[in-house]
Amino acid sequence: MYRPTEILIERGEEDAPVVQRALIKLPELPVRIVEKDWEQKEAWSAGKDPFGAGKRRLFFTRQRARFLEHCPAGTPGLVCCNYLIVSLISNCPMDCSYCFLQEYLANNPALKVFTNSDDLLDEIAQVVDRQPWRQFRIGTGELSDSLALDALVGFSADLVPFFAARKNVLLELKTKSDCIDNLLTLESHGRVVVSWSLTPPAIADTEEYGTASFAKRLRAARRVQQAGYKIGFHFDPLIEYPNWEADYQQTLEQVFTTVDPRGVAWVSFGSLRLTPSLRKVIRQRFPQTPLLSGEQVLCDDGKWRTFQALRVKMYRSLISQLNSLAPTIPVYMCMETAPVWQKVFGRAPGCDKDVARSLTKPNLSHGSPPQ
Amino acid sequence: MATQNEQGQAQRIAAYAQRKHLSGTTLARWQAWPTTDQAALFSLLQDLQCGENHLKDLLDWFEEIAARDEQTVATILERRELRSAQATPGSRHDKLKAVKTVLRKIRYPRLTRLEENIHQVVKALDLGRTGRLSFPSDFEGDEVTVTLTVRNVHELQNALSQLQQRLDDGRFQRVFDTLDEV
Repeated sequence: MYRPTEILIERGEEDAPVVQRALIKLPELPVRIVEKDWEQKEAWSAGKDPFGAGKRRLFFTRQRARFLEHCPAGTPGLVCCNYLIVSLISNCPMDCSYCFLQEYLANNPALKVFTNSDDLLDEIAQVVDRQPWRQFRIGTGELSDSLALDALVGFSADLVPFFAARKNVLLELKTKSDCIDNLLTLESHGRVVVSWSLTPPAIADTEEYGTASFAKRLRAARRVQQAGYKIGFHFDPLIEYPNWEADYQQTLEQVFTTVDPRGVAWVSFGSLRLTPSLRKVIRQRFPQTPLLSGEQVLCDDGKWRTFQALRVKMYRSLISQLNSLAPTIPVYMCMETAPVWQKVFGRAPGCDKDVARSLTKPNLSHGSPPQ
Repeated sequence: MATQNEQGQAQRIAAYAQRKHLSGTTLARWQAWPTTDQAALFSLLQDLQCGENHLKDLLDWFEEIAARDEQTVATILERRELRSAQATPGSRHDKLKAVKTVLRKIRYPRLTRLEENIHQVVKALDLGRTGRLSFPSDFEGDEVTVTLTVRNVHELQNALSQLQQRLDDGRFQRVFDTLDEV
């Protein structure tokens, strides 16, 4: 389990339920009460790895901005899937070498847990309940792993019943952990998809620090599926390295011999994409990584990706394998251009809503009604 | 503790950096390499005399090849094709161009092969001086631009019938097929 070195609590938030839950789980850690603008005032230590150090400082604070946002993957020129994100946690206890948070949250001195989850639920209810004709997909795995801290903060107990009671929205909990115990006692009514980001063990073991092993993630997926949840898989980032094809094919095979494909809500693929400044950070923090050695080129959206012909080959190879293992599962690509969709699927979606509908419709129409 | 040799090398590298106005970041990156690799690059730069931008490309590519192939920079520099590029006759600029071309080929083997293949199929189109094909940078995207340069209707007619012929005999199809082949 994640063990921070220190707990910081914004003054006035000491009695928040999430704070109390965490203090019970980590009774021996030093606790500091700080003012709400602590982050701005915190002088940066000139340590060698301030981003890594920030991960080990757990800060409970109120979210004062809006929780609900559109996924940043909706970039002009790329096919979007109309995904919404909410963040109850900002920063991640895990430390994947390719993670965009190294750039996006570079100056954050802590791992933040927001104490006002009730505000988040109110905000979602306002949007979702007022548009009952619309179908939504909302995920919590953008700025952190959705479940890695769940044993500590227990957010799943707030989120799962809330979404289980709504017919027009799917919650996605995206993780690289095996922290699923809290989920097993909750009823999701088919409205919660627990999904795993997967890479072959050769990558998971060397590039995804602090995550559960591939085997553990897969075991957790099976247990969650057996408990009645829909599950999903994200092969994102898809990484090109000398043995990628055999390794990914073996990974896919292992997945679909372990879980029941009928209970899989979706599978996505997304090529490794790195901004120039993220490449710099990776060079500094993970100088030995071979990730930057793939045949990546700078694309129109300012990110480096494996050059198009090669990544199309990768998508085609894996999607063809997936289709042979589990032909009916909805599949999509993340942050890809219409020409790449055209080459891989033989068609590009007419609009964002087409992709969104292909993912929500099969999953919401089969959900059992709330009791 | 640094040996006398290492100290001497560090001074030579620092002097080079000063002469070429290298940024502190670039110099620090070079100096973070193992000393044998620092020396091997220094020796190459004696010939090439690159400034900041070219040097950054070299640092990127050497580090990336080293990580991928699990080799030291010094070992990479021993490769025959790099040695012969370094021995290219001509100006310093010619040498630099030759070394960077070879190094890019080692760094991006499939992309450079694709470039060569595209070059071959475009050559086989044989559009003469009137027709030109251009491709998006690094072949990202799906648009191929065909440009015809003509001075009168007669030339235009000739150019169009030449294009039609290339369409009919499959040579244009070969261009599009090649774009997807890696």
